[in-house]
Amino acid sequence: MHFLIKLLTTFAVIFFGLSALAQGHSEHADHHAQEHHDHEDHAHQASDGGPVSATSTGPALTHTDEIDSALAEGGEPIVADVLGVVCDFCALAMNKIFSKREEVAAIYVDLDTKALSLVLVPSASLSDDTIAELAVQAGYRIADIRRGDAALGSGA
Amino acid sequence: MNTCHALLFAALGFVVSAEALSRPVSYAGGWTLIGESDRQSSSALLHYTPTYKWSLGPRLEVNRDDHFALTTLHATRLAKRWFGSDYQGNLYFFGGAGMASGVDGNRLEDRFSLYGGVMADWETRSLFTSYRARYLEASHFGTQFMHAARVGFAPYEGDTGALHTWLMLEIDHRPSDPDSLTATPLLRLFKGPLLVEAGYNITVNQPLLNFTYRF
Repeated sequence: MHFLIKLLTTFAVIFFGLSALAQGHSEHADHHAQEHHDHEDHAHQASDGGPVSATSTGPALTHTDEIDSALAEGGEPIVADVLGVVCDFCALAMNKIFSKREEVAAIYVDLDTKALSLVLVPSASLSDDTIAELAVQAGYRIADIRRGDAALGSGA
Repeated sequence: MNTCHALLFAALGFVVSAEALSRPVSYAGGWTLIGESDRQSSSALLHYTPTYKWSLGPRLEVNRDDHFALTTLHATRLAKRWFGSDYQGNLYFFGGAGMASGVDGNRLEDRFSLYGGVMADWETRSLFTSYRARYLEASHFGTQFMHAARVGFAPYEGDTGALHTWLMLEIDHRPSDPDSLTATPLLRLFKGPLLVEAGYNITVNQPLLNFTYRF
């Protein structure tokens, strides 16, 4: 019984101590999500001149400064749905493996959407098979790949 | 040998335990430094991952209770990984072979030793569970079987690159110990390539401190 009381007490202290952190992060996450949404709206406007709805086939390209810069250079956008991406080590592995490729100008792994966003160097190409193989080297699997307008969320 | 171990610990600047808990196999070409310290032992492992299926590297473990150190070559094999859009499960086998040496005044001669075990985990972005077991054969330094299970949850789902926080509870069972069954609540913090765990074994009043750095 003493053991159980100590265990419950310890967890209660940790839980309540972190609840404030979680609350603060939640507000930050909401803010981040709103920023992300704004970025997407901006990208959709830029891609075809008018607002469009996201494709129903999967998440669109995640926008970061690096990705937007690579897009502006004219690189091909690619979004790959990745299975098993649940933590930052997963994201780190994908980043390390894909960043070694000279075809890749920008990369971002979004844990929220479980999607790998890539923008290639202008005129470079990367086949679906190669992307799948690189994901395997990182320890993961690709479920789907979208390119061009579909990757930007403006596909049919 | 004692001086050698002391220098190794000083160089690592950390103390470490039984097995690497956090993703013991990395991406192809990746290096990982893991330090663990629990109620009984401290260890350090530096491993290289040639393919995502296995990793290999030197490992040092000091058993503080029984006053011996293990210097081994440690290998981990990813036997199976289960994928889903929002979960991942893994089954690993690991083993090590090397020398056991007395420390802290233990004058027993160095002997060949080896160990082997299994690890399994399943996690989403907010739930975690794992199990590991190890059997150690260290000649006249003794044999040991241990196994441990963990459950954990994340109070929020951290974004890519943000601070990830987990609350976990580890129950470990070492049949040969006087306190064979113990519990350790712990806090896991995770940001980018660094994972740190801090906990306290409330059964035997011993701290737990682990880290993993991937590069």
